[in-house]
Amino acid sequence: MASTAQELAFSSIEALSARIQRKEISPVEVTQTMLSRIDELNPKIHAYYTVFHDEVLEDARRAEQEIARGNYRGPLHGIPMGIKDIYEMKRTTCGSQALQEYVAEEDCVAIKKLKSAGSLILGKTATYEFAYGIQSLKSPVEPVRSAWDLSREAGGSSSGSGGAIAAGMAYSAMGSCTGGSIRWPAQCLLHVGLKATYGRVSRRGIYPLAWTLDHPGPLARTVKDSALVLQALAGYDELDPASANVPVPDFTAKLDRDIRGMRIGLLADLYEKSCDPKVLEVYDKAVDKYRSLGAEIVKVPSIGIPELEAIEWPTLWSEAAAIHVRNIRNRGDQYNPNTRQFIQWGLLVSNAYYMLASRCRAQVRDDLNAALTRDCDVLMLPTAGFQGPPPVAEESPGLNFIGSAFEIYTPIFNFTGHPAIQVPCGFDSDGLAVGFQIAAKPFDEVTMFQVARAYEQSEPWHTMHADI
Amino acid sequence: MDSREMVIAKLAEWDIVPSEEDLAELVPAYEALLQSQNVLENMLRTRSMGNAMEFPLSEPAVIHDMGRYR
Repeated sequence: MASTAQELAFSSIEALSARIQRKEISPVEVTQTMLSRIDELNPKIHAYYTVFHDEVLEDARRAEQEIARGNYRGPLHGIPMGIKDIYEMKRTTCGSQALQEYVAEEDCVAIKKLKSAGSLILGKTATYEFAYGIQSLKSPVEPVRSAWDLSREAGGSSSGSGGAIAAGMAYSAMGSCTGGSIRWPAQCLLHVGLKATYGRVSRRGIYPLAWTLDHPGPLARTVKDSALVLQALAGYDELDPASANVPVPDFTAKLDRDIRGMRIGLLADLYEKSCDPKVLEVYDKAVDKYRSLGAEIVKVPSIGIPELEAIEWPTLWSEAAAIHVRNIRNRGDQYNPNTRQFIQWGLLVSNAYYMLASRCRAQVRDDLNAALTRDCDVLMLPTAGFQGPPPVAEESPGLNFIGSAFEIYTPIFNFTGHPAIQVPCGFDSDGLAVGFQIAAKPFDEVTMFQVARAYEQSEPWHTMHADI
Repeated sequence: MDSREMVIAKLAEWDIVPSEEDLAELVPAYEALLQSQNVLENMLRTRSMGNAMEFPLSEPAVIHDMGRYR
């Protein structure tokens, strides 16, 4: 593949949209580049379940004509994207054998908004079954592979969305996050992964995993690209009961401001004792970089891993069980065994436990809000405390992680609702990608983007990609 | 009633009969869940009961209470 095509495939949205606006390149040419790469690489990566070859080319021609007439809609106009296959749009399988024949009657709200902004939808990307049944070689569909190392998986559950970007088969792709399913694959693949504040983006038409924890959001190559996609997605939806009726700011407003004097609060109690030293070594360099950029680093008290796990997983699985129990009873054999067991486990969570966890998550939320008001401007911590992504598994780990140390640090912001972004910060001594999270006050994504971008622009990680 | 019997009984409330393969995963996971209850109870003990009772009923976790932080 020619190097120019390679450069085009791994461009940022920011750079590509400027070229499209100047008419230096056509959305048709960009889309054809994506489609030819998908044809060539998807049989190895398995990132897409469905590709809309004809439809997306037709949309690209329409975008080209609009732009030629001077009707440029904005930075997503003519940009090809992937969509996790739990978003309703045409055939929507949720990665499950139980939904192979399901065809959505209309696009979900998020896709309507992306199309309205001019994005071109390439296809539906792979997901863990219903966004949680972990893929393995025993799954009915091939696990998504990392373009960095085809023997490894791409992280999950938004595995196809991450896998597509990493292989130069999309410029951004939508994921969903209930415990870390955007930020974790983003870390695995050296991407940016964004979960905005709970209520910022409508979930209507996206298959739920756990109502009080679910957040839609994009994976992308850069912080600014993430902000541009969020700009298209954000807004009140009166038909989503969790949607927040709050103003939508310009998410790029403070992107290029320096961060001197800003206070970054480390949630060290959560990760210091549990984080793999190889991961921590890379993360600590990112903290030092922030110090060199003029930020003040402070420590903020927080819960530890046992408390995080005690709140997150029983809440998630009991809500998921409420969604799936009827199907499990009537056609459980169509679910992956480990998916079925997760749901059964959720049915074992008592009402009192769920309410206890609800009280505790409010307590954590209040503590973090107090810290963000009193002690710091943003919070920082690693995305995960273990190396990733793992080799493609022969079979699913099932419920084995429950009760054992599982050092994923993303769920804390799912159950508090704070906006959080994963930023890549290099490779560990084994060559595996490492990332960290920046979180901010509710609905203050602008500050979160500012701090994340300041680090990103000081390091080369966002310019790197797999050689594929 | 041991853990295995508890799991079977609780799933029976939902008209679900787990397989042996399911039970091999579910029983240790259920025992871990019981341990987590203690973790949560200890968390709430760090606050006075009065404060604990004032916690909003928490979901959605942020927006029901966002007025306090703006």
